Amino acid sequence: MSETVCSYSGDRDEAIVSHLYADESDPAVRAAFEAHLATCVHCASDLAVLRGVRSQLARWSPPEPKFAVVTSNPDSRIPTNPKSRIPNPASWWREIPAWAQVAAALLFLGVAAGLANLDVRYDSTGLSVRTGWLPSRDARVGDVRSAPASTSAGIASQINAVPPWRDDLAALERRLKTEFHGTQAGAAMVAAAPAQPARAASDAEIVRRARVLIDESEKRQQSELALRLAEVLRDMSAQRQADLVRVDRALGTVENKLGVQVLRNQQQMNYFMRTSQRQ
Amino acid sequence: MTWTDEELVARSIGGDSDSFNELVLRWERPIYALAYRTIGREEDARDVCQETFLRAFRALPGFRGQAKFSSWLYRIALNLCRDWVRRERRAPVVQPPENVDLMDLAASAEPSESIEDLVARKDLSRAVERAMAVLPEEQRTAIILKEYHGLTFQEIAELVGCPLSTVKTRLYQGLTVLRRELAKNKRATL
Repeated sequence: MSETVCSYSGDRDEAIVSHLYADESDPAVRAAFEAHLATCVHCASDLAVLRGVRSQLARWSPPEPKFAVVTSNPDSRIPTNPKSRIPNPASWWREIPAWAQVAAALLFLGVAAGLANLDVRYDSTGLSVRTGWLPSRDARVGDVRSAPASTSAGIASQINAVPPWRDDLAALERRLKTEFHGTQAGAAMVAAAPAQPARAASDAEIVRRARVLIDESEKRQQSELALRLAEVLRDMSAQRQADLVRVDRALGTVENKLGVQVLRNQQQMNYFMRTSQRQ
Repeated sequence: MTWTDEELVARSIGGDSDSFNELVLRWERPIYALAYRTIGREEDARDVCQETFLRAFRALPGFRGQAKFSSWLYRIALNLCRDWVRRERRAPVVQPPENVDLMDLAASAEPSESIEDLVARKDLSRAVERAMAVLPEEQRTAIILKEYHGLTFQEIAELVGCPLSTVKTRLYQGLTVLRRELAKNKRATL
């Protein structure tokens, strides 16, 4: 390498770029530039610096994208704006833990029963289920008994005004129920014996499953908590390390400046000494 | 079996939606990286990426294979990036290096990399990002396409619509500016 001023006859910039990216499209130009490169310090230096720039460029990586553009649904396969994405109702439901779904279902049933004013009775007359907001006859009588005296007379007269066929109908209903239960009593006794253990076993199974679900949920929560804690610890550690690096750098800069100052002072002292010795 | 881009395009035009999904999966990261490096904002880059595929999907029946599918996608993405820059009327946004998000750093840390190396790497990455933002659009585009997407000079010339020699000149000028900016940044951090 002897040339200090470049004397390349072609387009130097293009030739450097072609060489830098190993472009083989024009072998003649490439060969000519390589021959020139062997003697030109300027071009060799330029090329080395640009190689360094390229190696620095290689360190630039974009942040990890958060994509959700591909779906198996043909209607929604087109990439969409994330701002306008609407979550699939089925998907968020699936994300809720099973125990929470069971709890939600029970809550729903309870509220529904409350709204429907569900009245379940199991007495001597058998199992009866009644819905709706119409009060029963007993309740009506109770209401009348607890009503103020001023109104009780009017209401009592209304009760007294109930037609006589209603009593006959009630008597007939009672008789039919008695007969009906008389015929079914034997069969019920036989059926009740195996049914009770089965129901008990079923309840035990449900309780066992609920416990398993609750245990799993607790385990998941514990592991998630541990993960979050680990992340926080790692973040704190990263923060501390980065702070230390910065402090270290700052201290190094201060030390350098101090060293330079001390050196200057020393030189000044030497100068004064030399000057005073001459005098 | 791995289909080529052209085969997937033909199948997509024929109504096979999975083929287009495959194309999206194959090219979404390069297109996102191109958009991010060109406009410098993560969310906008994602929007540009998605808009690119949306436009590609709509225009797919008109795609006759006169260019490579990837070149065609790059052209759509570059046009969208150019529109974005004109619409915003500003240079790509670059975060100042002081605001290094350490939470982000910690999250992306690789086990084998020490925190000092990680900080240095991120600092350098941001320095490059900032230096790239200084470049004129055409030089930045040429460097991104060559450096990060490995396109040939001829492909870049066809994509941006200029002679091959102009592409090389833009690359040289861009790299020279980058060299100066990176050196300036290095001095500033000392």
